[in-house]
Amino acid sequence: MIAKPSRAKRADTASYALGGLAPARVAEPRDAAEAAALLGAASDAGETVVAYGGGTLQRSANAPSRYDVALSTRGLGTLHEYDPRELTAGVGGGMTVAALNALLAENGQFLPLDAPFSARATIGGTLAAGWAGPRRAAYGRPRDLLIGATAALADGTLAKTGGMVVKNVTGYDMGKLYVGSHGTLGVIVRANFKVLPAPAVRRLAIAPFDGELRERAVAHATALSIEPAALLVVDGFHEIVSPGRPRLFALLEGSEQVVERATRELRSALGAAGIAETRLLDGDAAANAYASLVDAYAALAGDTSVTFLARGLPSHAVGRAQRARDALARADTIADLRTGDVVVRARDGFDAVRAALGRAIVLAAGPAVEVDAWGEAPSTLATMRALKSRFDPRGTLAPGRFAGGI
Amino acid sequence: MQTFASRLTDALGPEVVRSEPEDLAVYAFDAYSQDRLPSAAIVPNDAREIGIAVRIARECDEPVVPRGAGTGLCGGAVPTRGGLVISLARMNRLLELDVANRRARVQPGMVNLDLSTAVAAHGVFFAPDPSSQKTSMIGGNVGTNAGGPHCLSYGTTTNHILGLEYVDADGEIQRTAIDDPGYDLTGVLVGSEGTLGIVTEATVRLLKLPEAVRVCVAAFADVESASEAVSAIIGAGIIPIALEIMDALITHAVEAHYHAGYPENAGAVLLVEIAGAHEDVAAGENVLAGIARRHGALSWRAARDRAERDALWAARKGAAGAIGRIAPNYYIQDACVPRTRLPQIMHAIDGIARDHRLPVGNVFHAGDGNLHPLLIFDRRDARQVQAVVDAGTEILHACIAMGGTISGEHGIGYEKRETLSLVFSSDDLAAMGNVRDVFDPGRLFNPDKIFPSGAVCGEVKR
Repeated sequence: MIAKPSRAKRADTASYALGGLAPARVAEPRDAAEAAALLGAASDAGETVVAYGGGTLQRSANAPSRYDVALSTRGLGTLHEYDPRELTAGVGGGMTVAALNALLAENGQFLPLDAPFSARATIGGTLAAGWAGPRRAAYGRPRDLLIGATAALADGTLAKTGGMVVKNVTGYDMGKLYVGSHGTLGVIVRANFKVLPAPAVRRLAIAPFDGELRERAVAHATALSIEPAALLVVDGFHEIVSPGRPRLFALLEGSEQVVERATRELRSALGAAGIAETRLLDGDAAANAYASLVDAYAALAGDTSVTFLARGLPSHAVGRAQRARDALARADTIADLRTGDVVVRARDGFDAVRAALGRAIVLAAGPAVEVDAWGEAPSTLATMRALKSRFDPRGTLAPGRFAGGI
Repeated sequence: MQTFASRLTDALGPEVVRSEPEDLAVYAFDAYSQDRLPSAAIVPNDAREIGIAVRIARECDEPVVPRGAGTGLCGGAVPTRGGLVISLARMNRLLELDVANRRARVQPGMVNLDLSTAVAAHGVFFAPDPSSQKTSMIGGNVGTNAGGPHCLSYGTTTNHILGLEYVDADGEIQRTAIDDPGYDLTGVLVGSEGTLGIVTEATVRLLKLPEAVRVCVAAFADVESASEAVSAIIGAGIIPIALEIMDALITHAVEAHYHAGYPENAGAVLLVEIAGAHEDVAAGENVLAGIARRHGALSWRAARDRAERDALWAARKGAAGAIGRIAPNYYIQDACVPRTRLPQIMHAIDGIARDHRLPVGNVFHAGDGNLHPLLIFDRRDARQVQAVVDAGTEILHACIAMGGTISGEHGIGYEKRETLSLVFSSDDLAAMGNVRDVFDPGRLFNPDKIFPSGAVCGEVKR
C-alpha cells in the first residue's frame, strides 16, 4: 500500500505531550487507509505511534516509553452508515461521542457510552480506553454495544471484525480485543454500534443525606422495584451538583408512567430511610447534571490530584469507598451501587488509596504526579504480552502504555 | 510403547477415560451430519484433569475437541482428525450463586435451562436462551456465543459472561475477568468455538426477572408481510424482548405436535414478547398491535396466562424437532441480514428454494434479522442432497449481498469455514489468526474449525 501524504502538523506537538514527553510530529490521516499506511510506514521506519483522540482519558494509561508520532484521529470523524430504521450506526473512530449522540437524537435514539467530556471524547478513544460508565448496568458496556469494528494494525493493514448486523458469530470477536487495549494492538478507525431508542423521560433524583443515614439510604435505594439506570453515592466532588454533604444520585430513564412510579417509590424509600429531601431535575437539566457527574470521573482537582477506579461487586462498593475515606480524609469518592465501581479522587496518599481499594486503575492524574496507571498486573500477563508481540512485533504502537509494561 | 488411551487411563483412571469404539461412537458427531471416531474421550471431573489430559494429548500429538451436549449445528464438536474429545457433561454444577450482585459461577457442563431454573426462585435468570436450552450446555453456549429468541433485547452470550476459567494449550489453568485490567481475553474466548482453550468455568451475569411479561401472536397472510411488520416495529424505535416469525409450514408442524394455539390458517405468525414494568407492557402491546395491523396482521391475540405463554414458547423452541417428525431430513441454515432487508431476503430465500425444488420452512429471530431457513430433503436422494448444499450456499451469498453475515448464533464450526472468506479479507483473517497463534500455536484445540483450510497461515505478513 502506498501512503498518501498525511497532513502533518509540527506546530502543536506540545499539546499531544504525555507524561512530559512530546511527539516529534503529529499526523492526521484523512481516512482509515491513510491511518493504516501511516502505521505501516512508522513500523518500517522504527518509529513509535500513539493514537490520540480527544485526550480525555489519556492518563488512564501510562506515558509511552517512546513517542515519535501522535496519530490524531481528528480526520476520522466520518459517519459511514446510519439508517435509523436499523438502529445501527457505523462511524469513524475520530467522531466525538457528543457528535454521534446529536445525530442519533434527531431520530429519538442514543448510544449510552457515558463518556466523560463527551464533546471532546472520541468514539475510538473511548473504546480504546476501555471506558464503561454507570449506565452500563442498564444498557450494557460499550463493548456490548459494539457490533463491528475496523482496526489499523502495525503491519499497515486494516482488519475488520463483526459487521452491521446485531447478531453475529462469524470468526473471533476481535472488537473485544481492541476495546480497552489503549491503542497497543491497533487503532480503532471505525466502530459499528447497535444504538437504542432514547428514553422518553430522563430524571435525575438527588438526595443529600447525613452520614449516619448512609447505610439505610443504600439499603432502601437498592431495593426498588424499578431500578434506576444509574445509582450512585457521591462524597465530595464539589463540582457536581448539591455539594456539601454526601448525596445519592438516581438516574431514572424510561416512559413517563414508569419514571413517575420510580420517583414515588424512590421518594418513599428514602423517606423511610430518614431522608426528607429528594430534589428532581428533568430533561436537559437532568442530562447536564448527569454529564457533570460523569465528567468528574476524569476531571482533575489541581495539578497533584489522581482519580482511581476500582471495579468490583456492587454490594462492596459503599464499604470500599468508606475504606478509602477512612484511609485518607480528603478523598472524594463515588460508590456505584449498580456496577460496583468505586472512584476515589485524592491529592496525596496514593498508596494508601490503592491499599484500601485493592486493585485499582487510574482514570485521571494531574501533570505534576507520577503514578502507575495499572497497579497489579493480571495473572494472564504472559498471554497478553504474546498478543502484543504478535500484533506489533516491532513495538510500534504505544509502547509501555499498557498493563504490565506492554 | 504406551498408547494414547492407556496413558490417559493411567493418569485419570477408567472412570474418566473412554477408549472402546462402542463408547466412542457417541462422541463422533454433533447435530451436523459429519462424523469421525476420536482416539479417546474423557469425561473429566474438574479442570485439573483436563489440564493433565491436554498435556498428554500434546505430547502424543493428538488434537483436542471440547464437547458440550453436541447440539451444535455446524460440526463444531466433531473430531475431524480423531484425537481426544473432552466431554464436559460431568462438570455440571452451579458453584456459587450471588443474588445480591446478580452473578453465578457455573461449570461448563451445566445445562442452560437448569441454570435459569435453579436461580428463578431468587428472582433472577440467565438471559441467553437458545432453542436447544433444554439440553445445550453453558460451555457450548460460551463456545458459540449462543443467542436465542430473547437476545433481541438482552444480547447474546458474550454480553452475559463476566469471567472465565480455561485450560490453555500448555494444560495450565487460567482465569480471566472482564473487570481485570489488560486485554479482554474473556471477550475473545467467547465465540471462539473451542479453538483457543477449554473453558472449565464461567462467571455469568444474571438479570432480574421482569415484573410483567406479555406474549402475543399475530397472524399474517405471508412471511413477507410479517417481516415488514417486524422491520416497521424496529424502525419505530421499539425493541421488544422477542420478535419471532414462523411460516405456514412450520406453524402446521408445530401445532400438529404441540397444540399451543398458533393460528393454523395463517401464512405466517409473529410471536412477540414484551416485558418490563407493568405500565410499559400494557402500553407496548397497544403500540405493537397497531403497527402489526397497519402491516396486514389478520389477527392479534395475547396469551392469557403463564401456562399459555410457556406453551407458545415451548412450541416455538421445538419447531425444528416438530419438522423432524414430518420430514425425512432437514437442514437449518443460520444467517443474518440488516433488519430492514427482511422482506427482501425472505423473498430471495423463497426463490432459491423453488429453483432447487426444495420445500423450505422459515422459523427465525426476525427482530435480530437472524434467519433460519429450514430446507427439507431426503438424504437417500443424491439430487436433493446436492440441492440443499447449493441452496444453503446461495442463501449465504444473498445475505452477504444485503449487508448481512453467515452466522448469527450457531457459529462457523466445520461446516462454514470455507465461507468465512466470503465476509472477511485475508487481512481480517490474519488478525484472527494472530490470536489463534498466541493461544494455540500448535493447533491442538479443535482443528479444522472456523478458519478456511489453508487460508490462515499465521505468518507475519510483512
